[in-house]
Amino acid sequence: MSAPQLSVRDLSVAVEDGPGQRLLLDRVSLDLGTGEILGLVGESGSGKSLFCRALMRLLPSTKLSIIHGSILLEGRDLVTADETEMLKVRGGSIGMIFQNPTSHLDPVMSVGDQIAEGIRYHQGLNRRDARAAAVEILAQVGFPNPDRQYDGYPHEFSGGMRQRAMIGVALSSNPKILVADEPTTALDVTIQAQILRLLMDIRDKRGLSIILISHDLGVVAQTCDRIAVMRDGKLVEQGEKRALLEAPTHPYTRSLIQSHPSMPGEAASELPDAAVAEPSSSRPLLEIDDLHVRFTGGGGLFGRGAQTVAAVKGVSLRVMPGETVGIVGESGSGKSTLARAILGLTPLSSGRVSFDGSDLTTDRAAALAKLHGEAAMVFQDPYNALNPRLTIGDMLSEVLRVQGKASDTDIATRVGELLDLVGLEREFASRKPRSMSGGQCQRAGIARALAVDPRMIIADECVAALDVTIQAQIIDLFRELTASMSLTLLFIAHDLAIVRNLCERVVVMYRGEIVEEGLCADVFARPRHAYTAALIQAIPDIDPDKPLGGGAALELDAVTQQGHSSGQPLTAVNQ
Amino acid sequence: MIRQATRTFQLPWRRIFGGRATLVAGVLVLGLFVGMAIFAPLVAPYDPIFQDTTARLVAPSWLHPFGTDNFGRDVFSRVIWGARIDLQIAVIGVAFPFIIGTTLGTIAGFFGGIVDIIFMRLVDVVLAFPFLVLMLSIIAILGPGLSSFYIAMALVGWVSYARLIRAQILVLKNADYAVAAVSLGFSRTRIMFRHLLPNAVAGSVVFVMSDAVLVLLNGAAISYLGLGVQPPLAEWGIMVAEGQSFITTAWWITLFPGLSIVLLAFGFSLLGDAVSDVLGVTE
Repeated sequence: MSAPQLSVRDLSVAVEDGPGQRLLLDRVSLDLGTGEILGLVGESGSGKSLFCRALMRLLPSTKLSIIHGSILLEGRDLVTADETEMLKVRGGSIGMIFQNPTSHLDPVMSVGDQIAEGIRYHQGLNRRDARAAAVEILAQVGFPNPDRQYDGYPHEFSGGMRQRAMIGVALSSNPKILVADEPTTALDVTIQAQILRLLMDIRDKRGLSIILISHDLGVVAQTCDRIAVMRDGKLVEQGEKRALLEAPTHPYTRSLIQSHPSMPGEAASELPDAAVAEPSSSRPLLEIDDLHVRFTGGGGLFGRGAQTVAAVKGVSLRVMPGETVGIVGESGSGKSTLARAILGLTPLSSGRVSFDGSDLTTDRAAALAKLHGEAAMVFQDPYNALNPRLTIGDMLSEVLRVQGKASDTDIATRVGELLDLVGLEREFASRKPRSMSGGQCQRAGIARALAVDPRMIIADECVAALDVTIQAQIIDLFRELTASMSLTLLFIAHDLAIVRNLCERVVVMYRGEIVEEGLCADVFARPRHAYTAALIQAIPDIDPDKPLGGGAALELDAVTQQGHSSGQPLTAVNQ
Repeated sequence: MIRQATRTFQLPWRRIFGGRATLVAGVLVLGLFVGMAIFAPLVAPYDPIFQDTTARLVAPSWLHPFGTDNFGRDVFSRVIWGARIDLQIAVIGVAFPFIIGTTLGTIAGFFGGIVDIIFMRLVDVVLAFPFLVLMLSIIAILGPGLSSFYIAMALVGWVSYARLIRAQILVLKNADYAVAAVSLGFSRTRIMFRHLLPNAVAGSVVFVMSDAVLVLLNGAAISYLGLGVQPPLAEWGIMVAEGQSFITTAWWITLFPGLSIVLLAFGFSLLGDAVSDVLGVTE
């Protein structure tokens, strides 16, 4: 590495917390070379986002201040630079892209204008030249028809295109450093692969330096040159990526690498065999035949004239008691709708759903009563899934009381048992969700599902909002529970790696249809459908030498875009 | 570094003190009036409706701190006794609209569809008339008096609460914990009133405080027009009305009850601010 583009020394940020100070960033030092991609990994709360905000002196609250250290950029120290100078640095020297493009793009301004704005401000071009430059940037970030799309508004584009637009906005002022804060976390895997490819592409074309923040080691391993690991505001380890991944020195880095789902866990390979052996003889617990769920709405979600949107189109599925079935697919593939339809939370348009012999279409009341008492759901957002006004104990005892699962005298003991089951201390019974972490809330949500003594649990993206190490813990918890309580688990996720670890059977959904179904091992080893293959290839592997699923994903995207407008489903290949 | 440290050091202090100061001041002011109302017979030096024809329109003095009115009644005693009626107006005048509006708003938001349409069109109808005009017509139909005033308040005032709550319920009923409650087979009543309402009600509780101010002023206005509390009962609005014709010669008859209205309203506002801080409604 030659002279570093950016050099941070002993950067410390503290928050005023009552009478004293609390360090949020503790003497972080790192260098960023020209044309280098540096990956910054760590869990939420580790200070990685704060570090990047501190670089631009955009601290999220007035209670925070940089108390120590220096940030050297082109011979200037940004810590002591005055506000007018910082205005030039922000955008001009350091550009930033964020996790959620929807909330960081101005919804009432066309994407082209948003890019042109930066060009006019930072490079002083006039309106016409700025537009030309903006069109060029749009083309660079992968808009197929930049001239026309210049006038499009953010809501007209998909999530992936919006993220491209935001990268365009960041590039508009021609920065030397790009800070990307979890740029792909909100995107589907295939789109994620494209965006990561785009970032590397831009680096090559423009000689940019990039700081890529991610909680996913796979993403970082695929794209970065060097990796820095942060924890609790400290930089615990940094180094060249291969060296760091092969021989991590810090125990935290080691645990991060181990909890990455692309690592074939030992438990994962053992468990399915044991579980596969037992089912099949009895009749299925859940039977779905040619299920359709359609929503009606004026000016539909996917097209202007559309009056009805079919979220689930002709799904048939059988789940045996004690089975663990993973349902994967991208956002909009209808997997959550399917889950809600199974539990009777969404009206069925046609087809048949029956749970343990009770038919939801012919005898709805009886089937619902059965479902309420024997099936439960775990939700994606752990905070939104718990009533913020109730303590965990109140919440659990309410379920027990309403469902009559325990007599009044036994309720307290049963609540304690439930907390033990999900690995929460008993004192959590008196806590409210606000004072708990995401992982703890998710455990409480699982405890609520277990309170009904369910035969089937449907987990809808229940780990998507959690950090990797917490994800691994929750997955382990599910594995234990299904094994010890002979639970049937329908596990919905967009993350294939997690499904591969946990489930014995997998169902791949695309546009409301099941495109592939089979034992996990088979499907992942020999995908028969082009879509499944693309999904699997797009998983960023922690091994930097396994290339990111490239061509297939891009091709698929072309198909997807067409499919979007014409509504044509993907056809299967080599079947 | 030192400069920043001292600057930010003061911030939290000011915030805590500021928040508490509002709460303390609000409770003090309201406490003063509640105390006045409860202990009126002990505190008031004279009978509020006793007419001393030998001491009419006496200016404030040690004998009559707030002076006397045109019938020779002690204004200080009347202001103290008036607290009883005015507090009652504020509390009852808010309680019924709050209960009715919250219930109807919850039901409308939760069930949606035709129920929602019916309730919300009803709200539109009520809102289509100017507030005071509607109040006055209802009271005119029912005949003057406090109970007519309460009925009119309940019929007219619920609309704001219904709208506030409905909007919240519409958002909250799609929250995962509401869906979870449905999937666990909880009854609709339980979901509405145990799970959704407690989370939706914070904004309305804050509004109660500012609404109490409006109701108080309304009550005073209605009494001033002769449709609320009837003489010779001591109520601040009536006292202002009666003192009006003597404003140039005997200002004290109007001033002290007027000040009491302002001060009580101020107390409610302070408490409303503090409550909204505590409930975290405003950031």
